[in-house]
Amino acid sequence: MRKSKLVRSVIAWLLLSPLIVLTLFPFAVMFLTAVKPRPEVLSPTWWPSEFRWSNFAEMWVATGFGRALLNSLYVSVLATVGAIIVAIPAAYAMSRFRFAGYGAMRQFLLISQMISSIVLVLGLFRLIAAWGLIESTTAVGVVYMAFNVAFNVWMLQSYFDTIPRDLEEAAWMEGAGRWLTLRKVFLPLCLPAIAVTAIFTFINAWNEFIIALTILRSQENYTLPIQVFALVAGRYTVEWHHVMAAALLATLPVAVLFAWLQRYLVRGLALGAVK
Amino acid sequence: MYSRALPYLLILPSLFLAAVVIFWPVYDLVQISTHDVSRFGQLRDFIGLANFAALADDPDFMAALWRTGLWTLSVVAGALVLSIPVAMILNSDFYGRSVARVIILLPWAVSLTMTAVVWRWALNGESGMLNSALMGLGIIDQNIQWLASASTAFPMQVLIGVLVTVPFTVTIFLGGLSSIPDDLYEAAALEGASGWQQFRTITLPLLKPFINIAIVLNMIYVFNSFPIIWVMTQGGPANSTDILVTYLYKLAFRVGKLGEASAVSLVMFAILLVFTMIYVRLAMREREA
Repeated sequence: MRKSKLVRSVIAWLLLSPLIVLTLFPFAVMFLTAVKPRPEVLSPTWWPSEFRWSNFAEMWVATGFGRALLNSLYVSVLATVGAIIVAIPAAYAMSRFRFAGYGAMRQFLLISQMISSIVLVLGLFRLIAAWGLIESTTAVGVVYMAFNVAFNVWMLQSYFDTIPRDLEEAAWMEGAGRWLTLRKVFLPLCLPAIAVTAIFTFINAWNEFIIALTILRSQENYTLPIQVFALVAGRYTVEWHHVMAAALLATLPVAVLFAWLQRYLVRGLALGAVK
Repeated sequence: MYSRALPYLLILPSLFLAAVVIFWPVYDLVQISTHDVSRFGQLRDFIGLANFAALADDPDFMAALWRTGLWTLSVVAGALVLSIPVAMILNSDFYGRSVARVIILLPWAVSLTMTAVVWRWALNGESGMLNSALMGLGIIDQNIQWLASASTAFPMQVLIGVLVTVPFTVTIFLGGLSSIPDDLYEAAALEGASGWQQFRTITLPLLKPFINIAIVLNMIYVFNSFPIIWVMTQGGPANSTDILVTYLYKLAFRVGKLGEASAVSLVMFAILLVFTMIYVRLAMREREA
């Protein structure tokens, strides 16, 4: 009575195909423009006459890609490590202690998760300017850290809640202190959740636009999104093959990371959002 | 004593970080918006709500406000209508499902800035690959200058907004669909319910809490979304594709009207708080049910 799996597969792929085409379209545009020889870039053909791989090396030098890459790495690592270090104790406290401010803290986390940096950008700019930190990639990293703390605590707490207390209590019975138990029993169990949370913070920071656009004003401090945007905005001639090569190189690592990890996120979100 | 204070000590760092980076700016914005302020940010006299009144008289602001509503509603509705069937297909068993899943969720990982830069190039009037693709398919016979006027630029921006919102929405629905037990469908099929009836009486009602949450969260994200419009048109031509976030950015960092810019921020902040309250309500009702 049920249709065979083959028939269902064909139907499913057919139904999904318009969306898949639209999703892959930007990637195709990126790739095909990036490998076109320069004279062909402005001619509206799809396929390049030859694949000019040297465009990538040329772009690397011409756009200062390496420096932007280092800035992006620095900012994202700072945000990721900082957010996780601050969030683990908070999530642990919220998962394992009963205390008076618990409800207020949950509300606070929720609200700070809803507020995006764009709404506060003027206030943040003034805060950072008051400390003389305009142009500081460190300041940008710390702002990302702060905006990701709520998400981190939220994700980690929902995972910590799923770990049975018996394990820790058993360790206490054996005479291990709270700190030792935390280090030897609890945290090793949470390592996968910590890793996934950290990687998503990293992707968020890697892709952030508005704070970097506002705070980082000279090219040597640009992160990748700002660097790529600067190659396009307010220029009379745009070297589109360089822009697309840079966009592709900046996108590929996180896209691969994401493709590999997306099912963990699906699970984590399902735990966090509906619980 | 020690262990009583412990949980507070543990949450203190995150509280402190968020307070400095989130609440200080909010406080500062309230200060600026209620004072006369110089282009360089010096506060002068207290002027109450004059900055807000100036906004209400500013046709560009009012236009951006309405456009933000249109932008948010169309992107959220578009993503919703597209995501329900897509999630249902991805939840069914077929060959290559995990590949299809990765492809459809992929835009999530790509920075909105990069997506917008690529589309800006693809929509280029003379050399853009969209025009050449559409011409090749015989759909259009001359180049369209997509970004030159709001009547074509804004719908394209909405379309791109929908495309980048679908992955998150699908993810939420996949979580919801996997919680619906299969035997419900089997029982319904035994009773002779058609596919459409099954969808209406089983899938939709059981998915409803997830739909509600997806709507509210997407409203918040889309309302705040800056890069798509900024990178593609910077709100132009002549402010005709501005939404609140891009207008705010121009007021603050191009025109230097800091008082009005902070007033826009606070208006947005208030709207976001309303969204958040709706979300909390929904999440609480969900827990009680």
